[in-house]
Amino acid sequence: MARTISQQEFKQVWRGGLSDYVTAISWSGAGRYLAACSAAGEVVLISVSGFQSTLLQSETGYSVDCLAFSHDGQFLAIGGQAGQVKIWSLQSGAPELITTLENKSVWVDHLCWSPTTHELAFSLGKYVQVWDADTQDVVATLNFEASTVLDLDWRRDGKYLALAGYQGAKVWNTNDWDAEEEALDIPSATVAIAWSPDNQFIAEGNLDNTLTVVEWNNPAPWVMRGFPGKVRQLAWSEVPTRIGVPMLASCSGATVVVWERDRDERVGWASRILGNHQGVVQAIAFQPGSLLLASAAEDGWVALWQRGTRLIQALTGAPNGFSCLVWHPQGHQLVAGGLNGELLIWSQTLRGQGFGK
Amino acid sequence: MVAADIPSSVPVAVLTGYLGAGKTTLLNRILTHEHGKKVAVIINEFGEVGIDNQLVIDADEEIFEMNNGCICCTVRGDLIRIIGNLMKRRNKFDHLVIETTGLADPAPVIQTFFMDEDVRSQTSLDAVVTVVDAKHIHQHWEADEAIEQLAFADVILLNKTDLVTPAELDELEQRIRSMNAMAKIYRTKDAQVEMDSILGVGAFDLSRALEIDPNFLGEDAHDHDETVGSVAIAESGALNFERLNDWMGELLRNQGPDIFRMKGILNIEGEDNRFVFQGVHMLFDGRADRPWKPNETRKNELVFIGRNLDEAQLREGFRGCLV
Repeated sequence: MARTISQQEFKQVWRGGLSDYVTAISWSGAGRYLAACSAAGEVVLISVSGFQSTLLQSETGYSVDCLAFSHDGQFLAIGGQAGQVKIWSLQSGAPELITTLENKSVWVDHLCWSPTTHELAFSLGKYVQVWDADTQDVVATLNFEASTVLDLDWRRDGKYLALAGYQGAKVWNTNDWDAEEEALDIPSATVAIAWSPDNQFIAEGNLDNTLTVVEWNNPAPWVMRGFPGKVRQLAWSEVPTRIGVPMLASCSGATVVVWERDRDERVGWASRILGNHQGVVQAIAFQPGSLLLASAAEDGWVALWQRGTRLIQALTGAPNGFSCLVWHPQGHQLVAGGLNGELLIWSQTLRGQGFGK
Repeated sequence: MVAADIPSSVPVAVLTGYLGAGKTTLLNRILTHEHGKKVAVIINEFGEVGIDNQLVIDADEEIFEMNNGCICCTVRGDLIRIIGNLMKRRNKFDHLVIETTGLADPAPVIQTFFMDEDVRSQTSLDAVVTVVDAKHIHQHWEADEAIEQLAFADVILLNKTDLVTPAELDELEQRIRSMNAMAKIYRTKDAQVEMDSILGVGAFDLSRALEIDPNFLGEDAHDHDETVGSVAIAESGALNFERLNDWMGELLRNQGPDIFRMKGILNIEGEDNRFVFQGVHMLFDGRADRPWKPNETRKNELVFIGRNLDEAQLREGFRGCLV
C-alpha cells in the first residue's frame, strides 16, 4: 500500500539554540520576527527572512520566564526571576531597549499585551501592573489578593483582563480599572486561563484535575473532570466547528483532551482523548486558520493532530523534550523550544511542489 | 563527556521552628557546609542569610485548600510555583532547603511533596528538621504550631543548650520524646550539628529502616499530659493483609486529621518481603520492601504521632489484624 502523505506535511527549515530550557517563544503580529528566551536569561530576536538572530540579552543566571510582542509587533517585553520587565521598541530597523521596569525581590512570571492597544499587563506576586508603552506609565495596579497570580489573559477585543490563581479567576474591565472585578470562583486554584477568540468563553485549567468553561454572562459553568493531573495548558481554535463554537484543547500529564461544543445541551461539550504522548505535554496550540492542533511534550515529540483528532505527523529534534510551541500568525510555520535550549522551525510544504517556488 | 540524562531527584530539607530558635543559624551552616554545591533556599521569613547565594528566594507562604475540605489536600501554592520554576534549569541545584515561618503548619509543606505531580517527580523530601529554643520553648507550649512542628519532625535540634541546666534539658527531651517517638533528637549550641544528621537523612525514604527510640518502647508509662503524643507498637506475628487494609482505611477515615504522621514495617502473612508504609494525615504510601533475611526475626513495628490518640484502641485494632 502506498504511503499517504498529507498535504499538510511540515519540514524543518531552521535550527538554533539557547544555552538552557526555552521558557517562552513569541511571534510578532506580522510574522517578521520571532523572539525566544531561556532559563539561563538569554533573549534572542530572530528575523524570519534569512533567520538572522540578534542576542538582545545574554546569559544572566536569572531565568527569563515570559516574553511577548505587542499585537502590532512594535514592542517586545520580557519578564523573569530578575524582577525586571524590559521593553524593546522595534519601530525603527534595529531593536532598541526603551524601558526597564525594576521590581525588587519578585519574579515576573507572566505578561500579556493588550490585543488592541500598547498596554502591557505583567504579574508582580499577588499584583498585576498594567503599563502603557505609549505614555510609558503605569495605568493600573490590580490586586489579585488570594495568591500569587498564576496566569493572565486579555480578551481578544481588549475589553477585559482575566487573572488566575488560588480560588479561581478575577476579571477586570479594562475601560474602568477601578470598577469592582468579577470573580469566577473555583474551589481550588486555577493555573491556566484562556479566553476564546470569539470572546464568549473563558476556560480555566485547575490544580484539582478539573477544567472549567465559563460562558461569559452565564452563571453556570461547565466543569470537566477525570483528568490524570492538573490541567496545565489550554488552547482555543480560531476557526469554529460546524456549530459555530471554537474547539478547546487541554492538556494534563501526558494526555491531550479536545473539547467540542455539542448541539445537544445534555452533552454540553464532547471530549476526545489524544493519548499518544509518553511524557508530560507542555504546550498545545491550534494552527491559525484551521483546526490542526500541535502538541509539544517532554517525550521529545511535537505531534500534529488533524481537526484535533487524527495524528498526521510527529516532529522531533529535542531528544530531552519540548517545553513550548508557537504558530506563525499565518499558520504556515511552527516553532518549538526544548528543555535543553533547542529552537526549531518547521514550514508547511505542499505535496508536489518539489521544484521552484 | 557524557551528559547526565538520568533524571535526578533533588533532596529537600524543611526547617521549622519558632522565630529566634536558630533556624537561620542552621541555614547558614548548611550553606557554608555545602560550599561548592548549588543550594536553593526558599525562605518565608525575613532572616539574615549570611551567604551570598542568588538562589535564595523570599516568598510568602500560600496555603491552597481544595474544595473537598480534606486537610490532606491542603498544599503550599508558593512551593509548587517556585519549585516548578527552579527545576527548569538544566544545571539544577544539588539541594533545596525550605525555611518556614515560626507559625507555619508543617503538614501542607509535607503534603505538597506527596500531592503535586511535578514537585513529586522532581524532588524528594529528605527530612523535616525542627529547631527548638531550649530556653524559650516553654512560652510556646500552648501554641498548636509549636507542638505540630515537633510532632511532624524527623530531626529535632534542642538548641541553645548553654542557656539551660542539664536537668531542664533532660525534662524537655523527655517531654518531646513523648510527643514524637520517631524523631532523632540532638542537643546543640549555636545549631552546631553534624551535617549528615540533618542532610541526606532519607526520613521519607521507605527503604530506610524505621527507627523508634528503644527507650520509648521500653517505657511502661508515658506522660499523657499532652494531647499530642506517640503510640509505638512492636509485636511479632503475621498480619492478615485484608484485615490490615480495612483497619487502616477506617483509621484514616475517622482519625486522619488527628494522625500527623505514621510509619511502619509489617510482617504480612504469606509474604516473603517486608511491607513498609508511611503516612501524613490521610495520605498513605505503602509497598513491599526487601525480603526478610533468613536470620531476621519477623516482626511488626509501627509508630503513630497525632492528637488525642487512644493507645489502647490502636493496639486492639492492630491485634485484630494478627492471624
